[in-house]
Amino acid sequence: MTEEDLYWFAIDLLNGILSGAMLGGYYALVSVGLALNFGVMKLVNLSHGDWLIVAAYLCVTLLTATGVAPFWAPLVVVPVMYLVGYGIQRGVLNHVSSHAAERRNLPPVYGLMLPLLVTFGLSIVLSQGMLIVFSADAATIPNEWSYSAIRLSQDLSISTLRFGFFIAAAILLAGLSAWLHRTHTGRAIRAASDDPEIAAVMGIRTTHIYAVASGVALASASIAGFMIGMSRSFQPFDGTPFLLLAFGVVILGGLGSVFGSLIGGVVLGIVQVLAGTYFGPAAQQVAGYLLILLVLAMRPQGLFARK
Amino acid sequence: MSTLATNTPAQSAVLRVNSLSAYYGELRAIHDINITLQRGDVLAIIGANGAGKSTLLRSLAGLTTHGARSHVRGSIELHGQRVETWRPEDIVNAGFALVPEGRRLFSRLSVEDNLLAGAYLPRCRPLIPERLEEVFTLFPRLRDRRQQVVSQMSGGEQQMVAIGRALMSSPSVIAFDELSLGLSPAMVEEIYQNLGRIIKQGSTAIIIEQDLKRALASCTRFCVMLEGNIVLEGKPDEVDYDTITAAYFGSMQGSHHD
Repeated sequence: MTEEDLYWFAIDLLNGILSGAMLGGYYALVSVGLALNFGVMKLVNLSHGDWLIVAAYLCVTLLTATGVAPFWAPLVVVPVMYLVGYGIQRGVLNHVSSHAAERRNLPPVYGLMLPLLVTFGLSIVLSQGMLIVFSADAATIPNEWSYSAIRLSQDLSISTLRFGFFIAAAILLAGLSAWLHRTHTGRAIRAASDDPEIAAVMGIRTTHIYAVASGVALASASIAGFMIGMSRSFQPFDGTPFLLLAFGVVILGGLGSVFGSLIGGVVLGIVQVLAGTYFGPAAQQVAGYLLILLVLAMRPQGLFARK
Repeated sequence: MSTLATNTPAQSAVLRVNSLSAYYGELRAIHDINITLQRGDVLAIIGANGAGKSTLLRSLAGLTTHGARSHVRGSIELHGQRVETWRPEDIVNAGFALVPEGRRLFSRLSVEDNLLAGAYLPRCRPLIPERLEEVFTLFPRLRDRRQQVVSQMSGGEQQMVAIGRALMSSPSVIAFDELSLGLSPAMVEEIYQNLGRIIKQGSTAIIIEQDLKRALASCTRFCVMLEGNIVLEGKPDEVDYDTITAAYFGSMQGSHHD
């Protein structure tokens, strides 16, 4: 191997790791809502991916209507989605959760199946609803950063948008983690996920606390939806691939952990980009799923989960 | 200091339980329970496994009221308010704290987070520094381990956290379900030595305890439960030990069965 070969090998590797890691921040935000839902309520929310797309459409609609700069959109869409998440948990999901099934004296299989069926139904309603409202044409959030890059050296650069997303994701996830650990509400969420019955004995109203957690899950999903709209075009049925992606990240990082989502996102991002670099674009998805399968087989608790 | 205490006339009962029955489905776990507790009373509930002691405490805490599996009949008055239909979170807000059987700590949370979870209610939050200091004075070793995850601690230390967590809500009535179960003798000794300080002057307590002698030594009143009924009650110095053990094992003559 000549010196030049070695140089290009290093550049390829470094580029892959860098852009994969940047991608990981965005993956983490796409997934953290799913992780929160599962970690707190033991709820597998199959409509998670569709909510991302709903948020992306809301951003596009808002921006088209007002003509303001893209970054104003989340200021409106995030609170709206928080309220939607709160309402759906309180009005629907609290009544079909595993706890609800237990309370109603239904067999455990209902507790397992009801949330899956209801969120799967919700997913269909959402994607069909988007098809009716927004039609099947691809939408996107036009912006000036899509094609710009930050050059680190002559042959090394990262996408401006991805870099921004990574920083935003890291800040948001750190904030979310601090909120869960340092505030009364965050502590109540963790207590209710540990033992809902005893949480109630401490004065914690679990129906409300679960709804807050779901609201926060959708609020974070809506920021991810905004990022999706900024970085690519999307259609009403694009939710499912993002749901699969989120599952992958959550499996890699360990279920129900905020920090785990970031690690899982970065690992998946790097593996996908490196596979794409060395084996072509088709290998990207395959490598990602192979990694997920491998982790499920060897370390089902996640790569970095503590026990 | 406690807003609840000032609302209560000195002579009225803190807790009044009238012909309370609790059911799990069709099964009646406790039957026609009557208890009246004044300020400062420490009631020991004695009885074999399955006598209904835990069900009684769970009912008082509001844990058997909601849901399809269980329900209660009769009435529970806390500071003169009927609470038998209330949710657990409202009952603790009214001043009743439970140290549950098996400790039931939030296992993935730290010592400090468990204690703070006990002070979740808005009325408890301003008192957090004060209460936290009290708990750490009571159990000094918790102060050194406040950041430790509770699942890594010994049973005795966990029981201290469970007691501290209940105290964080500044309760006027505190109930201990199986205070010493699964603890080493030295730890039991330590907890009982502190009991006088845990159950502060003027607050009311209910203790479920397997150790008969210890229970009788630390209470002002006791009752013996058998098959869901209270079969004997009194003050510890008024009833002789043999009568109590006879009631415990159900071999008492002329019992209150109906």
